[in-house]
Amino acid sequence: MPRKALLTIIALIIISPIFGVILADIVGYHEPLDVAAEKLGLKDISEEINWTPLFDYSVPGLNPVVGYIISGFIGVSIILAIGYTLMKLIGEEH
Amino acid sequence: MHIPDGFLDPLWSIATYGVTIAYFASILKILKKTFSPEKVSLLTVLAAGIFAAQMLNWPLPGGTSLHFVGGALAGIMLGPVYGSLVLALVVTVQCLIFHDGGITALGANLLNMAIVDVIIGYVVYRAIVKAMGLSNKSRFIGGLLGGWLGITLAGITCGIEIGFSPQFPYGATITVPVMGSWHALLGVIEGVITGLIIVYVASKNPEIILADKVKKH
Repeated sequence: MPRKALLTIIALIIISPIFGVILADIVGYHEPLDVAAEKLGLKDISEEINWTPLFDYSVPGLNPVVGYIISGFIGVSIILAIGYTLMKLIGEEH
Repeated sequence: MHIPDGFLDPLWSIATYGVTIAYFASILKILKKTFSPEKVSLLTVLAAGIFAAQMLNWPLPGGTSLHFVGGALAGIMLGPVYGSLVLALVVTVQCLIFHDGGITALGANLLNMAIVDVIIGYVVYRAIVKAMGLSNKSRFIGGLLGGWLGITLAGITCGIEIGFSPQFPYGATITVPVMGSWHALLGVIEGVITGLIIVYVASKNPEIILADKVKKH
């Protein structure tokens, strides 16, 4: 992986809680989808049927900022691992 | 943009899964022919970057917020086939690992972000670059309009999906204008970021921007 790209991704993850947690809490993060759903009275049942301990980029027992950063690294690691596995498989085929 | 569990009518859930599976099945042939370690490497780096960028929400005081989606960027950089795969990887990891976007809505979320946004971004960029000739100016305008229209149409598609339901006969008349107008407004940010990244990549590695080439995938 190019060093510059990796450093950019690490920097994005480290600063991400400023936008994804802190500012989002201060101003009340609200997407257009939430606005539309409220108008129809649609109910988000994600928490009721949740299957993952990393729900909404949190890590159980950790503060939301740290959990958000760790979740970011976990997500990127999984994507890189999938890519690496695919590359290995294709390399073997070739 | 990520539809959670509970928002979609079961019929829409099945229909959107059907369309998405059909689309990815249809591009499988192209993927099999063109898959290479270099392509996978680019795809993976871009997916990791978009995943990280999507974690940066833009909360706007007193208003509606949005985060970067990156579908148009992926479409412009790698073409519609590999661009769709990039977003599919991102959206599926977000859903399965972090429950960001519902499992009942994964088909719809892939349709909006990995198909509509990607294809529209690519098509608009190609049209602009073709009309204006290849330059940094046309790349920026192509990225801007591709990113903006991609996310606006993805938002409208999302509005249709959550609005059409037997429970709410006229739901779409409410959700489509809300999703369309907000995404048309906030999508300008997506467009500007897309345009800037494309110009930056063009200054470093212009050969990796697939939409600058005539070949399609």
